[in-house]
Amino acid sequence: MNLSHDILVWISSLLTLCIFSFIFKDNPFYRFAEHLFVGTSAGYFIALQYHNVIYPNLIVPLFKEGQLLYVIPLFLGILYITRFIPQLSWLVRIPIAFLLGWGSGVAIPAALQTDVIKQIQGTMLVRENFIRWDNGLWSIIILIGVVATLIFFFFSKERKGIIKPIANLGIIFIMLGFGASFGYTVMARISLLIGRFQFLLGDWLGLIK
Amino acid sequence: MNFAERIAKIPRQIIYTIIALAIIIPLIIPIGMPINVMPQTQKLFNAIESLPPDGKPILISCDFDPQSMPELYPMLEALLNHCFNRNLRVLILALWPQGAGMAEMVLKKVPVVYNKNYGKDYVFLGYKAGAAAVVLGMGDNFKNVFPADYYNNPLDALPLTAQIKNYNDISLVISLSAGDPGYRTWLLYGQSKFGFKLGAGVTAVSAADTYPYLNSGQLTGVFAGMKGAAEYETALYKKGYKLTSRTATKAMDAQSLGHFFIMLFIIIGNVGYFFMRRKK
Repeated sequence: MNLSHDILVWISSLLTLCIFSFIFKDNPFYRFAEHLFVGTSAGYFIALQYHNVIYPNLIVPLFKEGQLLYVIPLFLGILYITRFIPQLSWLVRIPIAFLLGWGSGVAIPAALQTDVIKQIQGTMLVRENFIRWDNGLWSIIILIGVVATLIFFFFSKERKGIIKPIANLGIIFIMLGFGASFGYTVMARISLLIGRFQFLLGDWLGLIK
Repeated sequence: MNFAERIAKIPRQIIYTIIALAIIIPLIIPIGMPINVMPQTQKLFNAIESLPPDGKPILISCDFDPQSMPELYPMLEALLNHCFNRNLRVLILALWPQGAGMAEMVLKKVPVVYNKNYGKDYVFLGYKAGAAAVVLGMGDNFKNVFPADYYNNPLDALPLTAQIKNYNDISLVISLSAGDPGYRTWLLYGQSKFGFKLGAGVTAVSAADTYPYLNSGQLTGVFAGMKGAAEYETALYKKGYKLTSRTATKAMDAQSLGHFFIMLFIIIGNVGYFFMRRKK
């Protein structure tokens, strides 16, 4: 065992143990670590946003380089604060409208191209898909899955006749998707736990390299 | 309390203790379970392998923070190792503010092992706010978005970045993504508009969401979670490349055992529940 001599490693390790103690039950150590985390995160993010966003993108161009056009974003930004003044709170709609307009204009064509057009292309059965038999088989399964799932979400027609078995097949594909997502979520959580144990056993206690 | 009720209601403290032991023991005493490289990992590995040395640089975007470090940091380290083993040049930026810290950490460790020079072999652009605007802006002119690097050197003064104008001068973009902004930002505002090759390293939580893009060819390849990082490290190791560490590979025994016990508890819980319902 080769214990760390770094005070920061000790603080980090003890705080990790405080958080882990919640597994058994809520306790003052857990609450201390939780509150400390919330407080330091808030302070850290305020400083981070100022130095990385406000200072280089507003203070420097407007006040140091004299680019007066930056008065407009400054004004729009200040309007957000009116939310806290009941008589003027309606003014907050102006920057929100600006952001919504810009955001929608940029995002809608991009989302259509990425998530609709390219995805439809990817689902189509083309000759290249069948160069290898297993690729071809997967392509057919994907096409069936997409159609069945879309029919499951087709609510304008009563589920009977041919629609019913296809919608039921859609449920199977959806459940498979949920299963895959859940499996990956478990994997992610275990990975994070491993990361913490690697830190505790390695950096702190020196039990592993 | 009968047997069925007992196994359906195992105290969570016992479950947590067993899971903790299942993770701690293989970390201290490794078993050495085999790691298979999945096709999505191999695709991204092959894409990097196919790039010519000293050609157009790779752009790595660190879109994660310390919370996702166990999954994404090993990918970042392995990626840099891969690039420097093959004499590929690298640009690093971050769409997350803390991503810059992650990048700085790895840049202190890896380039020195390969005697790589800052400005010639790699450049760190740092963090820039406004993810979509950053990705869109770099498509027009890199230097409008990043006039200077993280250390305030003008990009025109650095040999690697002096000739770079837009994505046409980049061979491959890889986003190590823990959420939004991340690989989706690069897909929506970058790949779909400018058509560059895009790879992604993602946390396991979002791995399932990447498969449609992989299938359609919008993503060149994907590293999925810590397992993906371990697969990538294994692929590099098998190829005989030097590696500064194999953190993810060392964790795979613990990952497998952790999964085994979770599956076991799910089955035990369901069996207990089934018998309890039958009794009623």
